[in-house]
Amino acid sequence: MRRASDRLGVAVSVARLAVFSPVDNTARVDVVVRRLGDAIALGLLADGEQLPSEAELAGRLGVSTVTVREALMALRQRGLVETRRGRGGGSFARAPLEPDVSERLADLAVDELRDIGDHYAAIAGAAARLAAQRSLPSDVTPLWRSLDEMAAAESSAQLRRLDGRFHIEVAAASQSARLTREEIRLQADIGPLLWLSHEDLGGHDETAAQHRAIAEAIGAGDADLARDLAERHVLDATDHLIELRLRLRE
Amino acid sequence: MTTRSDTARPDAARSDAPPGPGPATPRATLRAASRATSAAAVPAPPPAVPAVTAPDEAAVLARVRDTAEEVFAALADVRAATAGRARAVRRGGRALVSADLAALRPLLFGRLGTIIAGIGFIAAPGLLADAPWYLEWWQESPAGPPVQLLRDLDPSSSAFYDYTHWDWYTGPESGAERTVCGPYVDYLCTDEYSLTLSVPVTLDGVFLGVAAADVFVRRFQAAVLPALREVPVPAFLVNAQGRVVASNTARWVAGSVYRGAEGFAVRPVPGLPLALVEGTGR
Repeated sequence: MRRASDRLGVAVSVARLAVFSPVDNTARVDVVVRRLGDAIALGLLADGEQLPSEAELAGRLGVSTVTVREALMALRQRGLVETRRGRGGGSFARAPLEPDVSERLADLAVDELRDIGDHYAAIAGAAARLAAQRSLPSDVTPLWRSLDEMAAAESSAQLRRLDGRFHIEVAAASQSARLTREEIRLQADIGPLLWLSHEDLGGHDETAAQHRAIAEAIGAGDADLARDLAERHVLDATDHLIELRLRLRE
Repeated sequence: MTTRSDTARPDAARSDAPPGPGPATPRATLRAASRATSAAAVPAPPPAVPAVTAPDEAAVLARVRDTAEEVFAALADVRAATAGRARAVRRGGRALVSADLAALRPLLFGRLGTIIAGIGFIAAPGLLADAPWYLEWWQESPAGPPVQLLRDLDPSSSAFYDYTHWDWYTGPESGAERTVCGPYVDYLCTDEYSLTLSVPVTLDGVFLGVAAADVFVRRFQAAVLPALREVPVPAFLVNAQGRVVASNTARWVAGSVYRGAEGFAVRPVPGLPLALVEGTGR
């Protein structure tokens, strides 16, 4: 145990060094935003930790102070940085709040949820159908690797990331860049909500069984089955979300 | 995202295959062709088809070769510069760090904007003293100067960090002198339908990483289509697994898979893991 935590400590401090390594001149504000934002979201910069001064950040990141100032402003807007004035003031990291999924759910009307589900099912189904028609064994290998990693995943966050990767790999196997981009966009949009629903719906075993069935249909070249399974995967989760939504008080 | 030719398995049952009468002969032909043009194999193409080459076919093969050679020439420069930098740093008595690779940038920038949309060096994990994973990877930007790909390479936060699974990495790592991956949807970098060409970078026989370049499929097509169009029968280029890269017919469009079909002959492109497939009914 001790050794493992020591290693983790070293990894974190190496990662912390990387946070402050120089950013190339061509980088823009969003690179600084991403670098600092990721570090805060990951806890590399702890909640409440004071960030270096603007001038020092500029020096360490290799960008102008104007760039740093703009980046800090964007991070403030996202709630990842808090700036206090006066004595003891400065910019401080703020750990992101766990996104409150039920709040998000309450913002969506039932017909919106149904519509999102219809859209996602169309994309996921079409991608799975084309993947079954067009994929080569080398396209199917990454799907199984992701499913194996999911079976061994130790945290819900890791599982969710791998779940996202699996569905993007299915979309990429369709050979359609547009379907893949749409899959990525939809995941960013409603991924957390659907995930909530999967977790609720009989947990990871059921989800894993659906994933395996999709991968098998794609591997077998069964286009109709792959489409049906992928649509079902999305629509089951959407139905469940709608049930949850209907039970929420306005 | 494609792998080597041992995965080539023409399968007429798949619905993407044309409803031809039987796959017997073309299947054998494709298998022979893909073995000969495997990314991992030394190119020594057997005579899969008669040696007689029509002038229009020869023009296609030449165009494909010239296009690929332009990319591989750039990769040879990146390889030499990377190995040279690594040697110089080590002679100086210290370990290589990611900042040392910034010296490659003028070279990389100079190779962008032709047919190459992205180019760089991908370090073998553990090569650099300051970063377990690192890409010195630059992409052209329509709006201005090249931009560096800054991927999240932290395994604890990303599901995508491990680049060593990708065939543009495993090919060179396992000793292939020239690897051509794709076409595939490159969701890691550009979200474009792309080819990735790669070569190993070694120093004193030790593998340091991979020099690689991305070529958008549409640009590759633009380069070879004028020659392909002159072929009077359906003709298309496939990779070692049978994936169509460029075509003169909507029937076999890029991204579809040639799994063998009656009435087609396969002609390997010498020295590359690609083949020209064309209708035999001239």
